[in-house]
Order: sequence, then C-alpha cells, then structure tokens
Amino acid sequence: MKDIKLPLSAAAARDLTLGEQVTVSGLLFTGRSRFHIRAIEDNIFPPIEYSALNCFFHVGPVMRQKKDGSWEVVSCEPTSSIRFERYGADVVRKFNIRVLIGKTTMGHRTAEALRDVGGVYLSKIGVSGNALRSQIKKIHGVHFLEELGKTEATWVFEVERFGPFFVAIDAQGHNYFEKLNADVEKALPEVERTLGIPVGYDYTGVNADE
Amino acid sequence: MITKPHLEEAMYRAMALAATNMPPDVRAALERVLEEETEPLARQHLQVSLDNADLAAKGEGLVCADTGFPMFFVKAGAQTRIEDGFGAVNECAARATARATADCLLRPTMVDPFTRANPGDNVGNGMPKVELVFEGDGDGLEVIAAPKGGGSEIFGTFYRMLFPADGVAGVKKFVVECIRDACYAGKICPPAIIGVGVGGTADLCMALAKKAALLRRVGFHHSDPALAVLEDELTNAARSLGIGPMGARGVNAVLAVHIATAATHTAALPVAFNAQCLVGRRWKAILDGSGHATFTGEI
Repeated sequence: MKDIKLPLSAAAARDLTLGEQVTVSGLLFTGRSRFHIRAIEDNIFPPIEYSALNCFFHVGPVMRQKKDGSWEVVSCEPTSSIRFERYGADVVRKFNIRVLIGKTTMGHRTAEALRDVGGVYLSKIGVSGNALRSQIKKIHGVHFLEELGKTEATWVFEVERFGPFFVAIDAQGHNYFEKLNADVEKALPEVERTLGIPVGYDYTGVNADE
Repeated sequence: MITKPHLEEAMYRAMALAATNMPPDVRAALERVLEEETEPLARQHLQVSLDNADLAAKGEGLVCADTGFPMFFVKAGAQTRIEDGFGAVNECAARATARATADCLLRPTMVDPFTRANPGDNVGNGMPKVELVFEGDGDGLEVIAAPKGGGSEIFGTFYRMLFPADGVAGVKKFVVECIRDACYAGKICPPAIIGVGVGGTADLCMALAKKAALLRRVGFHHSDPALAVLEDELTNAARSLGIGPMGARGVNAVLAVHIATAATHTAALPVAFNAQCLVGRRWKAILDGSGHATFTGEI
C-alpha cells in the first residue's frame, strides 16, 4: 500500500487513482464546522505554515489532558465532510490543501477545487478511531482551544502510516460515491416495483399546483 | 428507596459501558453481514469496525469517538421510590454525563444551537435527554444509556405527513427514499438499524421511530404479523439498492427495519424515520428497590 508523504505535491496527488487505498505520514491539522465558517466568513484561522501542512483532517478527536499538562488522543474518528461543502472549495483554494481526510465525501465544488490545486479527498475505512489514535506519533500543538473547546479546536498531529483511507475523490474530480449513486438510481425502479409501488406514484399534493 | 448516589453511579456506569462496548446483538448482526458481503471494501469497513470495538473493550479507546447525543431511557415501576422524588432522575443523569465527559468516555459535543458555545460537559438545555416511563408494579428501575452518534441522528432523521390516500405504498416509498438519502456516502454509518414510526402526533411518531431503532434487539420483529412482513419487505428493498457498509458498494446498508405504531388522526398517516449507526451503542443498568445495580448489554 502506498504511503503518502506529507506535505503532498500536486504531481503525487495526480498519481493517485480513485478507490486506491493509502496511508499518510507527516504533519496534518484538524478542524470541523467552526474552522470552515471562521476561516471563510471571518478570515480567522490558525497561524500555521500551510505550505508545509497541506493535509486537513476533518475530525473532533477525544483528547485527554495529562497531569503534566500535555495531551493524549483517546480516540479520533473522521467526521462527515459533506457537512462542510458550503465552504469546502474556498478552504481548499485559500490554504492550497492537497489532502482532505474525512468521512463520507464532498460535493462538486470541492472536487473542482481539488482538481485545480492538485489534491485528493480520502474517506475513512470502517470505524477506526482507536487504530488511528495509535498512529498519531506526536501532538505538535493546538489552536483556539479556549474559544472553541477540545472538539472544534485545531490540533496539529504528526502521524505515521496513518490510515488506511481510500481515494474517494481523485485529483481529476472523479467521485467514488457519485458513480455508485448512479448505479443505485438505476436499481430503484425494480426496487419500487418489487415493493408494489405503482409506476409514477407520487405523494398527495396539498398545495397549489406548480 | 433508591438513593441519588446509587442512581448517579448506575447511570454513569451504564454510559461508560455503552461508550466502550458494542452490544452483543449488534455485534452478532455485523458478523453475520460480514459473512455475506463479497466486495473487499465493504468487508474491510465491517472488519475494521469490529476490531475497533475490540480495542475499546480492552480499554484502548472508544467504540466510536463521536459519542454523540447523551440519552437515557428510564423505566420505573409503580412501587419505585427515589430519594427526592423522580425529578432526581434528571439531576443524576446530568451529573453522570458530566462525569463520563470529564473521564473522556464521552467527547464534549453538546453546544448551544445558536451561540455554539460548548460548556465542555455535555450538559445543557434538555441534555442529556432523559425519558421516564412507568411500567409494571415493581420497585426497581431500568436505565438504558444510549450515546447516539451524530451521523445517524443528523443524517438519519426524516418525517413526513402522508395522508390515508397515500396508502402503504407511500410509507414504503418514503422509507426507501430515506434509506437511500441517509446511506449515501455512508452518512449514517451503515449497516444501520432503521426505526420507522407510523401514526401518533409528529413528536410521538418520531419517538416511536427512535426507540424502535435504539432499544429493540436487532431484527426482532413487530408482534403484528403484517407489520413483521412489512419490516422484511423494507429490509429486502434496502438490500436491492446496491449500497453496503459505510455506503460502499455492497448489500447490507441496513441490518434491520423496526416498525412501531400509534393510533393517529383519521385524516393522517404520519411517518417518521430514525436511524441507528452500526455500532448501535446502548447498555442497560437494572436497579433493585435498594439501588443495587447490575449491568447488561442484552436488551
């Protein structure tokens, strides 16, 4: 299995194929809704060297503070990236992000942004937060902990052979789940026929006809 | 008499066990579908999730790091007495939730909906969610702790007011639409347990769906044979969509469909959909009248 060295180059991103499984090694940063909203709406974002940190991990890790004040990861499960679609493309372009890691997928606008910068979206495999925890080798820092709390704060992790994840959006903009969804669409008429739902069935309308 | 310290401790331990153990019926259902799936990615999704639960049970993490919405379902008998009365159930639930959060068994996830302020202890208006019902003549208390993952609640909740003329076809169409929507790209973390509420008022309808998804043994059929057939029909429909674990190509996006009904208005056919994710977290504390507690993953 390929291990992606972070930060990822555009050329290396374009070499990854849809559905391919990979691990990542190097530095990444975390964030969820609050990162996206604040970065784009308020221009507030962690003071990170984004050219050296171009992997954005969508997660709210469970963090424990030890007696000496240092932190440890209890478990970290990728969160649903599709929630961030409103801001996803702008975040990718603003910080030149080449690797997004999360759960689910993202939409067309983010896929286009990834295609333009030369980046991929990696989706999680199973519920794996405890295995991922053991692949985080060092916690390099945390930003906005006071304002946002442990879950929405941005953590900087150094990871080694982190994953595996699968390429759900490649650097050409293809999306594993959209292809699958097209097949589901094709299967639907037969599913409805088997259930005895009449062809062309619709719910009762109770408003003015459009 | 059940004292408040006894009740708080039982609620805390039930929540801790729920956060770190996969219920046996859920595990058995996942192992069964792992046998059936042939697509490598679908199989990997399942195996990784089972391995993750094993690590959690060994004290190396959590069944899922999104510990979600903290909920307690509490059942009391006619003779049950609690120190300071039944209002103490909410107080004990809040304290148990805050303790579980401080001990990193729950992630601090509950925030104010408008300000998004996070108190850090998962306690806020209406949270933890506590349901108290009375059943039977006993003096004990049954507490089910259910930390419900965000994915399943956020992407797996739908309601529609159908009408009598929409018929069973309308119910079926709605449920299949919801399954497809909720499972796209693995939003609700399939294979999911699907609760379908039919009838009642809007809030009752959704409560039926939620409890059918969370509190029923996986695959346990409705006692009405016609509804048991409908449960199987809908499960089989889900299997035919071509969606598998975590929304990958496969067969088992749904472990089971559980239907629950209530009487409703003669003009109405309300339908609610609520999903439970593949880890299906819930753990039960059974307290006797003196507050002594035993714990079980059986339901």
